[in-house]
Amino acid sequence: MTAAAGPATRDRLPDFVRRPPSGRYRSLSPATKLVAGLAQAVVAFTLGSWSGPLLVLGLVLATAAAAGVLRPLARVAAVTLPILASMVVINGLLFPGATDVVARIGPLAPSPSGVLFGAQAATRLLAMSLALALVYLTTEVDDLLADLERRGLGRRAAFVVGAALDTVPRMVERAGEIVDAQRSRGLDTQGRFWRRARGVVPLAAPLIFGALNEVEERTLALEARAFSAPVRRTALRTLVELPAERWARWLLAAAALGATALRLAGPAAMLP
Amino acid sequence: MDWISRQFPTRVVALLPVAIAINIVLGATVQQALKLPIYLDSIGTILVGVLAGPLAGLVTGVLSNLIWGYLLPAPIGSTTIGPFAIVAGVIGLLAGLWGRMGLFRDRSGETSGSSIGGAVVALGLVAVLAFYTYTRAYADPETYASTTFFDPATFDQSRILFLVVMAAFVGLIAWSLFLRRDLGAVYAVASGLVTGIAAAIVSAPISAIVFGGVTGGGTDLLVAAFRAGGASLLEATLQQGLLADPLDKMVTSFVVFFVLANLSRRVVARFPNGERLLGRGASTE
Repeated sequence: MTAAAGPATRDRLPDFVRRPPSGRYRSLSPATKLVAGLAQAVVAFTLGSWSGPLLVLGLVLATAAAAGVLRPLARVAAVTLPILASMVVINGLLFPGATDVVARIGPLAPSPSGVLFGAQAATRLLAMSLALALVYLTTEVDDLLADLERRGLGRRAAFVVGAALDTVPRMVERAGEIVDAQRSRGLDTQGRFWRRARGVVPLAAPLIFGALNEVEERTLALEARAFSAPVRRTALRTLVELPAERWARWLLAAAALGATALRLAGPAAMLP
Repeated sequence: MDWISRQFPTRVVALLPVAIAINIVLGATVQQALKLPIYLDSIGTILVGVLAGPLAGLVTGVLSNLIWGYLLPAPIGSTTIGPFAIVAGVIGLLAGLWGRMGLFRDRSGETSGSSIGGAVVALGLVAVLAFYTYTRAYADPETYASTTFFDPATFDQSRILFLVVMAAFVGLIAWSLFLRRDLGAVYAVASGLVTGIAAAIVSAPISAIVFGGVTGGGTDLLVAAFRAGGASLLEATLQQGLLADPLDKMVTSFVVFFVLANLSRRVVARFPNGERLLGRGASTE
């Protein structure tokens, strides 16, 4: 789907999306990387309160270093940082039922146990986010969709995901054009809260109606290309995978299941 | 299988990416840029649910959050959205049911007795439920604690938020009835209220367990306020949800209703659920 997008959209895509897979981790099959990401996210959530998240963070950082994506991964972490920080601050200041409150300042009651709880929840969230971010940092979305389609994901599902990814940047671009157009007619987009709130309708309405009118054209375009023809399609891209990857996927899935079972049975909750 | 494939003709498959993009672009603007205490990230989901059916709505909601969370690069993409995919799916599923029941039907110009009667019944049901909840749960702090299992210390806040939601409901209904003179919006807003309560109940454990109650949006302030009032983590996120979600879904349902009413009849009629959404044809193009 990316090939159909205009040049403006292509230039806006970050460079990792277009880079051809090279290096050992990147050239693994997309499904393997997806299963690895999901398994690590599950483990980060189920295994202990600190051991799981820290284990996964270590694994993710090692893999990212090996695949050469530490820098973009740091960018993802930077986006998550404000949320992580507020998790620590809000829990640190307002931890319900804390018995070790240090001081009381109005409604605020800072406590070490609150800070600890916040830090732990933040670490878990960071580990999960980075494990899944690593999947898209090391995989081209087109490759992932092609691979999943080959493994039985419907053509409709693959189209929906691919087209949605293409539509978002175009719609952002269009939203910018609408804002400019309305501003040139005198709309106030900088003023106080109520002024800005009143501007939502003249911005959202053209965006929504414009997008919905496009659906008709897309339907005709898809039908003209035999989208709903009941035949099996041939693949333009073929992906090679090592025989060991199959085993790796099953092992990863088993590890995730095992960690969940341990958590439900009790022992994994006892880990630090 | 037939029930499934009827919800996904090519037209709906072409609509899904557009609806997902609407969710993401509007949601990112409202939550991340404007930091408003509502979400507005389910207009596309409810639109698809109403036009195409429960399953299509569910798929739109789940995919929106997964794509937003894990497939888009950083300035828009935000990994904290992903875990709420279940909530978005429930919203789409419910929207599909409301669409099937004809709650989003265009009733402009309808003044027949049965239509007005239906609206009165819908309003009456909400009023009775609201009155029942208020007298049962908010009579005094002890009954409040025993019926809702919340900490009695949060009684006053909880009562205020209940009244805020009800005031917003009455305000939206009054606006649509007296200024737009449209009965259909009554049904749509009432369905949004129900969807919002369901969404709050599903999302509270997610924000409490996964995020420690903090998600980075404008609603974090509410969570902090409820916790300062003595609520536990799950209570605070549930109370925040019960304030923000019904407001958000009522506004969203209202928007979707007016989008549908302003789309051309020809476009709406071609979707699987189109016939249940069009009025009697009194309005002209």
